[in-house]
Amino acid sequence: MDNSSKMNKSSIPPEAQAILKQVADRETRFRKNMLISFIVLTLLAIGLFILIKLDFKFMIKWLGFILTGMGFTLLVSFLAISLACILSVIGALGRLSSNPVANSLATAYVSLIRGTPLLVQVYMWYLALPQLGKAIEELGVPGIQSLLTLPAIPAGILALGVCYGAYMTETVRAGIQSITIGQREAAKALGMTDGQAMRRIIFPQALRVIIPPISNEFIAMIKDSSLVSLMGVWELSYRAIKIGRRYFQSLEMLIMVALIYWVMCVLLQYVQERIETYMARGDRRMS
Amino acid sequence: MENPKKATSQESRKTMVSIKNLHKVFGQNLHVLQGIDLEVKAGEVAVILGPSGSGKSTLLRCINFLETPTAGTITVDGLTVNAGKATKEEESKILQIRKKTGMCFQSFNLFPHMTALENVIEGPVTVLGQSKSEAIPYAMELLEWVGLSDKKDEHPSRLSGGQQQRVAIARSLAMKPDVMLFDEPTSALDPELVGEVVDVMERLAEEGMTILAVTHEMHFARDVAHRVLIMDGGKWIEQGPPEEIFTNPKETRSKQFLAHILN
Ligand SMILES: Nc1ncnc2c1ncn2[C@@H]1O[C@H](COP(=O)(O)OP(=O)(O)OP(=O)(O)O)[C@@H](O)[C@H]1O
Ligand SMILES: [Mg+2]
Repeated sequence: MDNSSKMNKSSIPPEAQAILKQVADRETRFRKNMLISFIVLTLLAIGLFILIKLDFKFMIKWLGFILTGMGFTLLVSFLAISLACILSVIGALGRLSSNPVANSLATAYVSLIRGTPLLVQVYMWYLALPQLGKAIEELGVPGIQSLLTLPAIPAGILALGVCYGAYMTETVRAGIQSITIGQREAAKALGMTDGQAMRRIIFPQALRVIIPPISNEFIAMIKDSSLVSLMGVWELSYRAIKIGRRYFQSLEMLIMVALIYWVMCVLLQYVQERIETYMARGDRRMS
Repeated sequence: MENPKKATSQESRKTMVSIKNLHKVFGQNLHVLQGIDLEVKAGEVAVILGPSGSGKSTLLRCINFLETPTAGTITVDGLTVNAGKATKEEESKILQIRKKTGMCFQSFNLFPHMTALENVIEGPVTVLGQSKSEAIPYAMELLEWVGLSDKKDEHPSRLSGGQQQRVAIARSLAMKPDVMLFDEPTSALDPELVGEVVDVMERLAEEGMTILAVTHEMHFARDVAHRVLIMDGGKWIEQGPPEEIFTNPKETRSKQFLAHILN
């Protein structure tokens, strides 16, 4: 019954084996050359750094200080992406809803947020919201101004979360819509309610489609989180810029902070790949 | 597998499905079902035949409300839903009817993110609120019954079409339905895989399941069905026991259609 298990090495004819070997050889050669190129590139970069007299001592001295900013970066990114995930699911359900109020609200959210710069939104949450609170308070709602006057970090988390939530809404909606109608019908035929079908059948399948673009968003957010420095939060890039300016060694500081972001993103990419392999289990015919 | 709802011949057979004056209009004027009446007794096996586009799938899909009927009434095991009423009460009756009817699709529609066994317990666990450990023994019995207990941990992508359809049948049966609806369950299958699915359907019929099937599998229509109905243009053209319909059809249109499919 199972053909694949019968196909062992010995039944492959010698000519085919020669071709398989060639293919494998080509792959190892490719990987070896890749590695050599990487090493050469790294050496060239280090050479260049030495040539322009980069002050490594200075960099190492401030490394610890700058790395402490990573805590803020990760905290803001993590909370903002969590908020964005929640908003994007609600947004996607709204976009797909047959309820006109829910649908138009979700559509307006996506359109408005995607149509304005993130920079403006950050200031909106941080600087404009208190003024809105003041106006409402004068209309006779007590205590609203202090409620709407947000400290920098919560304002940053809200700005990033709400913004990324709008972009991700479209990703989630597309993911849900990519699941064939037959799946929903099979779920309904079993007697599931719409909610059960969504939770048990549609969403878990959509998740597989959604996870790769969402991880990309997360990686992008790690970098965009540097926008909270606009509000004076001492996160990664803010520290690097401050120190660089103070000692007139911006080059060192910027190269260092760029490398730190890069390493974080590479690590995240690795995690993303692992998640994707996990999600893809049972997806293909494995031989 | 012993069907708990098996109807013995001594019992005066009750009506399991009753459809009165069913109409379905798609869009504004695509009048696909034009006043269908149908009664299916408990334990009866009825096969619907008819040319492509005549409305066979639409009829089956109206019975479990995957399509919303435009007019008429549908009764399944004593539960009646009137078309056109969208009250909360009708909604809950529709859910009840879906639990009482199992449906097999041409394209199987197994849940690809679940193993065969998980597919089969999904209905009892999610819809009937059973725990996994409650649901698994009967699910295993069903997988055994369709001959696939050794594939319980495989995902659908690693099963052949015939195996997938048998899991799909087991998945429907796990809800202990009163009626099974089959919409061309074998027409997406390679010819050599058709037999294993028809065999399962045949055994289901022997167990006394009420079956309403759209299928061009002539062996099933001729030797298993108690009644054959021919549909064209959203109406019944002719119906009767298979011997009669296949050897001596009365209507010219059914003669033409049968001549077409029997060759
Ligand atoms: N969701 C839909 N929207 C609009 N028209 C539809 C829809 N579903 C079916 N139809 C139309 O209704 C008619 C009957 O379709 P149906 O699928 O019931 O036919 P059928 O008898 O099952 O045909 P086949 O043997 O090809 O499966 C066809 O003309 C089809 O195009
Ligand atoms: Mg059809």
